Amino acid sequence: MIELLDKVDKPNVIENSCLLQGKEVLASSFTPDKKNHETIAKQAFNYVFLNVARMNAKHNEAHLEIGDKRLSGFILKPELVLVCMSDKACNIALVRDHVAEVKKLFLQEQVNRMLA
Amino acid sequence: MSDYKVLFTGSVCSGKTTAIKSLSDIETVDTDASVSDSAIRRKQKTTIAMDYGVLDLSETARLHLYGTPGQERFKFMWQLMMSDLVHDAEGLVLLVDNTRNDPFKDIRFYVEEFRDFIVRRRLIIAVTHSDEQADPDYDFYMNELKSMGLFTTVLFIDARDPSSVLNVVKELVGLRERDIDWKTLEERLAVNSTMPNANEDEDDDSPIEKVSLLDAAMNTRGITGAMHLGPDRKVISSNVENNQNKELLKSMVNLVAALENKAAFMGHIDDLVLCGPQQETLSVFVEKEQALGLCSDKELSITVVKQQASDLLQWSRQ
Repeated sequence: MIELLDKVDKPNVIENSCLLQGKEVLASSFTPDKKNHETIAKQAFNYVFLNVARMNAKHNEAHLEIGDKRLSGFILKPELVLVCMSDKACNIALVRDHVAEVKKLFLQEQVNRMLA
Repeated sequence: MSDYKVLFTGSVCSGKTTAIKSLSDIETVDTDASVSDSAIRRKQKTTIAMDYGVLDLSETARLHLYGTPGQERFKFMWQLMMSDLVHDAEGLVLLVDNTRNDPFKDIRFYVEEFRDFIVRRRLIIAVTHSDEQADPDYDFYMNELKSMGLFTTVLFIDARDPSSVLNVVKELVGLRERDIDWKTLEERLAVNSTMPNANEDEDDDSPIEKVSLLDAAMNTRGITGAMHLGPDRKVISSNVENNQNKELLKSMVNLVAALENKAAFMGHIDDLVLCGPQQETLSVFVEKEQALGLCSDKELSITVVKQQASDLLQWSRQ
């Protein structure tokens, strides 16, 4: 999983990222000084996507701007959320486009694993 | 006869149409249509193509006045005007509404949009609405512009007052046209004044005042529902009818309220946005005294929704 995060983090776009499965952090590139952001993202996106599921809605992406950072959560597959932290000044479209690319790679990897 | 041209630009409600009407000797040509964004709380009509007026400066000099539409959706007109109608203009007058949350954000935006045009021409920044909001003041503008690398003329004007707008013209052509009788010009243009009469009741109940935040939101392209919340994050008013959206927005507001207590050390929460390819986008925009929940078309970009929310909240604060 950490290999995926290596592809997610991108200079001037995504500073840190982590993968969440429920309340568990599967892998993370958040540095110790940014652990508070990881904790807040984990709790916030768990709550948000739990409510989405409870309401039978189909939202798969959430963004929270706090302080000078933006925390973004993307559902990669049921129960698996990719969290990315970017600077608030960074264009959100860059973050979304980059994650869309990473998501494609991730899904392709999943398919390859199933076929192997 | 010397013919000069000047282009007025700036955000919606910055006073472009009013300034041109104040200066024009002829009945101005304007192309108004209903406002289709949050500006409805301030006015109900906006320029969609351009404004045009003419000012006879003297027997040998004439000034053609052009104004761009303010709304970004008519941005294509800006390019059209720059490359054709006003490619030979003397200068650009950027009207800056001093009541905006961040007037310098507007300046940065328009300077960027008109960069190529300004390079070869005079730029004058004309600050309007300073009677409603005195700060930032002249010194602040000069210091801030200096730090932005912009060394230009800043004038504080009242677009409704011809003598005040005439100062912009003096700056532009005063040195080149020394035969202009400014006093006579000022007297002649006095009839164009739309300054409120001192005896008039300032609290006249114009229909614009009655547009609520929710109505303004619903007038905004792509917005399908809105929820206005107070400082305690309790719902003041809402027109979100879809039950799923309503419940999700409430849960988002609850989350924001919890984070405001729990994660205050991380800084202010600006917004929380929830989106997906098959659903309407749901957002909560947070200010200290109020918050706004919005349902919007999934095709509307998050950046546009944020800008609209920022405008809606600003005018609501007033």
